[in-house]
Amino acid sequence: MRISVEQRLRRPRWLTVAVPFGSVVFAFLVAAVVLVVTGHDPVSTYRQLFDAAFLEKQSIDQTLIVATPLAFMGLAAAAAFRMKLYNIGAEGQMYLGAITGAAAGLYFGGRGGPAPFPIAAMVVAGMLGGLAWALIPGILRAFFRTNEILTSLLLNYVAGLLLTYLIFESESYWRQTKGFNATVFPTGKPLPPNAVWPGWTLHVQGGTTIPLGAFFGVGAAVVLWILYRLTRFGFEARVLGDSPRAARYAGVRMRRKILAVMAVSGAIAGLGGASQVGDFSHALDGDPNGLQKIGYGYTGIVVAALGRYNPFAVVLIAFLLGGLENAGNALQGPSFPAGLVGVIQGIILFSALGGEILSRHRIRITRKTTHDTAAPARAPEPAA
Amino acid sequence: MKTTRRLVLAALLTATVALIGASTGAAKHSAGPFKVAWIYVGPHNDGGWSQAHDAGRLYVQKMLGSKVQTTYKENIAVGAQFNQAVASLAAQGYQMIFATSYGYVTPQIAAKYPNIKFEQATGTLVSKNVSEYFGRAEDTIFLSGMAAGYASKTGKIGDVLAYPIPEVVRHANAFTLGAQYAHPGATVRVVWTHSWFAPAAEKKAAQSLVAAGVDVLGQNVDSPATGQFAESIGDPWVGYDSDSSKFAPKSWLTASVYNWGLYYLKRVKEAMAGRWTPGFYYGTINDGFTTLAPFGPGVTAAEKAKILAVEKKIENGTFYEFEGPLYDQTGKLLVAKGVKMDVLKGGTNSLYGMNWFVKGVIGSPKG
Repeated sequence: MRISVEQRLRRPRWLTVAVPFGSVVFAFLVAAVVLVVTGHDPVSTYRQLFDAAFLEKQSIDQTLIVATPLAFMGLAAAAAFRMKLYNIGAEGQMYLGAITGAAAGLYFGGRGGPAPFPIAAMVVAGMLGGLAWALIPGILRAFFRTNEILTSLLLNYVAGLLLTYLIFESESYWRQTKGFNATVFPTGKPLPPNAVWPGWTLHVQGGTTIPLGAFFGVGAAVVLWILYRLTRFGFEARVLGDSPRAARYAGVRMRRKILAVMAVSGAIAGLGGASQVGDFSHALDGDPNGLQKIGYGYTGIVVAALGRYNPFAVVLIAFLLGGLENAGNALQGPSFPAGLVGVIQGIILFSALGGEILSRHRIRITRKTTHDTAAPARAPEPAA
Repeated sequence: MKTTRRLVLAALLTATVALIGASTGAAKHSAGPFKVAWIYVGPHNDGGWSQAHDAGRLYVQKMLGSKVQTTYKENIAVGAQFNQAVASLAAQGYQMIFATSYGYVTPQIAAKYPNIKFEQATGTLVSKNVSEYFGRAEDTIFLSGMAAGYASKTGKIGDVLAYPIPEVVRHANAFTLGAQYAHPGATVRVVWTHSWFAPAAEKKAAQSLVAAGVDVLGQNVDSPATGQFAESIGDPWVGYDSDSSKFAPKSWLTASVYNWGLYYLKRVKEAMAGRWTPGFYYGTINDGFTTLAPFGPGVTAAEKAKILAVEKKIENGTFYEFEGPLYDQTGKLLVAKGVKMDVLKGGTNSLYGMNWFVKGVIGSPKG
């Protein structure tokens, strides 16, 4: 009797949907065990979580506030991970996008002119800022084979320190210097009114505003889908991800691809940063207890993993996970652990990644016979 | 095809959960105990800033019993997370919120919930439903600086600081003035950790201060790492925020401690009786807002008596540490003799606007 783990010849379609679904269910089951052990009732807890995320008054409004950056972070991660380029630096690229986006908003907003112009300038500047920051690990990976996981991750801390420096420790362009309050505590200069991003208000749940950034997020998902599905660029990127050797034989330029994909990933993350400034904080938030404390970039990785790098799935899951985060803040208190939502997210990520192994491999139990001792021949897997 | 199937399944999943969710009732309001909430920027048991606030909350709960229902939210970032926390508290019928970090309460959120009374710590915004509170920790920090000055043989003292903002600069100045009062000519060397709570960075900062020649350590950060290092080399230590003597029993001198509970109790009672009005509260030693933690073994009886004598003088108003003449690091006279620095008035010569170090501080107030 022998147990072997071998690659599947063909990946059944149903498995690719069942794995993310199963990961979430598994995560909630494990978290339920944690809840029971700490003395809470899982069913009522989950019911409250759902209420707080989507049903209560203004809950969708609050959920969108988290879902918008999560969508950008998830798309940025998905864009890179699809090519097995593990850009963990979306968080730092978001900060750089916030910095450059805020600069554009402050500069162009104060100059009058039609409202769309400063906003467009913020979008472009934000994307450029994130793009430039992502190119650092990109160049290091492309030309020096440095592991992009390490470089992009550590650059997140550098970006955070830069963000804090601009507001907390210098009299920079971004810092508010007028007024007494400005001397008491460091804050960012507020955006001029025509650089503030508008939202679309629906009369649902007592007034729900869909921020402009949410529309940009969906737009980015569409662009990313077209890029990876319908263009040669995307095809080459996917081939590079699935089999670098085959791609090289096909003449795909590895270095160029790495730089280009990191640039795309960083640009999306940077746009998320510009959205943070334009939609929500309306100033550059350099407070170490502010944007830097939340960790959207890291949750975005969970979103991308669950969505299996499909841009539309990523957006949907960003909405669902955004609801979970919103609900977690709503529910936490003395009798409810504040870290539970983080625990659930972590288990989801683990389960999703573990599920990936299950969908690519299967466990086979064979009875040993005298003839059949060799492992079955491995046929190459057809492109999924 | 794959995408459609996935979307269909996702929609089914959402629908199923919605069906479960729809069976919940919505009633969360109850006319009964007065509901008041606290919002913390860190964990409620951080051993520093947030824990002191939570001690105040527990005091209110203890004193008012079943007449109040208190809760807290911890690890809430400034910005979107604060707004979410307030939204959910409002939905549950909370009528008063104590926001314990600068920047939490914005004019927008105050306007959105006009029926909730917001109390913001360390801020400046005062409006119809927003009140501010903080207090003269600088008085007790001055006294703790005196203990450091007495304990120092060389007159070289170190201070581990977080961010170069007026609150921290003011506290460092008070510490220095106290050390110089007890030990004329003492200097205070400062190192910035760029974080409110970072034990590893604080230990490194303490190591670099000792390497530069200081023989007493002080701090304006939230963890006792500096003290643990001081204990390991046998140097005296002044803490901050709370009585952390158990982390360094031999090195411990004293610390400035916040007693938020008394103010909290007062304001909650006023709100319950309908007498709450917004204002700017700046607590003192007299109303118990700030006190000195118990002294450690390194403080002699004579020194204790001297420190407590000065405390008495501060209490009855005959002594104020931020009264001129005060010189900056270059020796320039910034506050004339006899002039008392005001909390808010005076620009950079006010307590809330102070961005310069006094003479004797070694280090830059800009970080």
